[in-house]
Amino acid sequence: MNGIRPIIDIKNVYKFFGQLQALNDVSLSINQGEKVVIIGPSGSGKSTLLRSINRLETIDSGSIIVDGKDVNGSGNDINQIRQELGMVFQSFNLFPHKTVIGNLTMAPMKLKKLSELEAKKRALALLDKVGIKDKADVYPSMLSGGQQQRVAIARALAMNPKIMLFDEPTSALDPEMIGEVLDVMVTLAREGMTMVVVTHEMGFAREVADRVIFMDHGQIVETGTPEHFFTNPEHPRTQKFLSQIL
Amino acid sequence: MNQHFSKKAVKIDIGDGAAIPVKKDRGLFNAWWLTFFGAIVAIIYLCVTQPEPYWRVLKFLPDGVLVTFQVTILSILMSLVLGLITGLGRLSRNRFINLIASTYVEVIRGIPLLVQLFYIYYALGRLELFKGLPPMAAAVVAMGICYGAYMGEVFRAGIDSIDKGQTEASRSLGFNRAQTMMYVILPQAWRTILPPVGNEFIALLKDSSLVSVLAVADLMRRGREFASESFLYFEAYTMVALVYLVITLFLSKGVSKMEQRLNYYERD
Repeated sequence: MNGIRPIIDIKNVYKFFGQLQALNDVSLSINQGEKVVIIGPSGSGKSTLLRSINRLETIDSGSIIVDGKDVNGSGNDINQIRQELGMVFQSFNLFPHKTVIGNLTMAPMKLKKLSELEAKKRALALLDKVGIKDKADVYPSMLSGGQQQRVAIARALAMNPKIMLFDEPTSALDPEMIGEVLDVMVTLAREGMTMVVVTHEMGFAREVADRVIFMDHGQIVETGTPEHFFTNPEHPRTQKFLSQIL
Repeated sequence: MNQHFSKKAVKIDIGDGAAIPVKKDRGLFNAWWLTFFGAIVAIIYLCVTQPEPYWRVLKFLPDGVLVTFQVTILSILMSLVLGLITGLGRLSRNRFINLIASTYVEVIRGIPLLVQLFYIYYALGRLELFKGLPPMAAAVVAMGICYGAYMGEVFRAGIDSIDKGQTEASRSLGFNRAQTMMYVILPQAWRTILPPVGNEFIALLKDSSLVSVLAVADLMRRGREFASESFLYFEAYTMVALVYLVITLFLSKGVSKMEQRLNYYERD
């Protein structure tokens, strides 16, 4: 391990949904600052893997260690661990009863006991960063999908997480809005954030990923740099998948 | 009080209480105005043209109206607390808690309210523990327990109607279950819950006429007292019915106003 402790360490993880084997002996280490993009056909287990990192899915066996803490360990406070893990969903999941800035300040104020003033200051800086400072006081329902997703990213960042998890962040967006969300993600990547991204955006993978992971049938089939992946994938299933989507 | 909840229904329909007027529903809107002002005009007409006995009846009733409201408000508060607990219990993953909540709902729904009132006041009143329980307290406890079961279903459906993504987003930020419920789910579920709660309030107000059998001096009881002393049954009960009607219609209007205001964050 070259003396560097991985910030996410996934070992021999199995997960079943009834009879269906969603994860089949998955192991994966991710280092601090690394950007990992997970691709694969639907039902391949990529979202399940991502969601099990912050225990939105519980695994049946194996272990997932985040920043030295076992996510499924009984002694560890999962709510504490989750504060280190920002999560962005396909369907945004903004809180509709809160304004944009309210979405950003709620968790820092309640969980980190930030003063309202401090939380708002930080929220505005984040909204500025994702380019929608002017929408701070409107409700999410007034925003376009792309804007909502950018707010969702800012909301996750407001907790100052060490790692950001993205679960198909652009899949629910109209094509013309995908770019604005990817731009924010690229900026985040350049700043050195550790990112795990499940996506179908191969352009993003090519530009940002340190490592691309191809999953199929609950298994990691192939791992490699984007160059390796998009120029000469080794595994026939990877070749088939890439030929279908590129 | 047949309630039919379909899963993920955004609006909970309850076929009880006065119909809540909706702006779009012109016919109902007119029916509301017609009934409301019809009742008021009828009261005024009767009192002006035949002050004896109608004006005398009307003057006799206000104390009862106050008691009716007192019983209704205290009962609804108790039923809201019980309803929230029951609703959460019914959604609990803990089987034991779930079973208790569900059993409570089944038992209460299977016994007529009048029987429950008699049971708590007369039957339990025989026990040493409850001896000397004032009728008012017995009435509020019985109505609160009864409506708590119905309210539990309202809360359950309201909480259940909130998208699962909201819980996931909240938990991902680091909120625990209770915080998620308090800061994310309930503030949203409230909008779905409030109209049926308003309806239950109106239904409860009407059902509260049953407490007159426990010698609680509510609106109905006052009417009965007047009637039995004067033998003017027709006049007394006509006024009682009209007063109930005016109160109920007035409240249903209030509920619809509240509902409109609660939709503020979905206006485009």
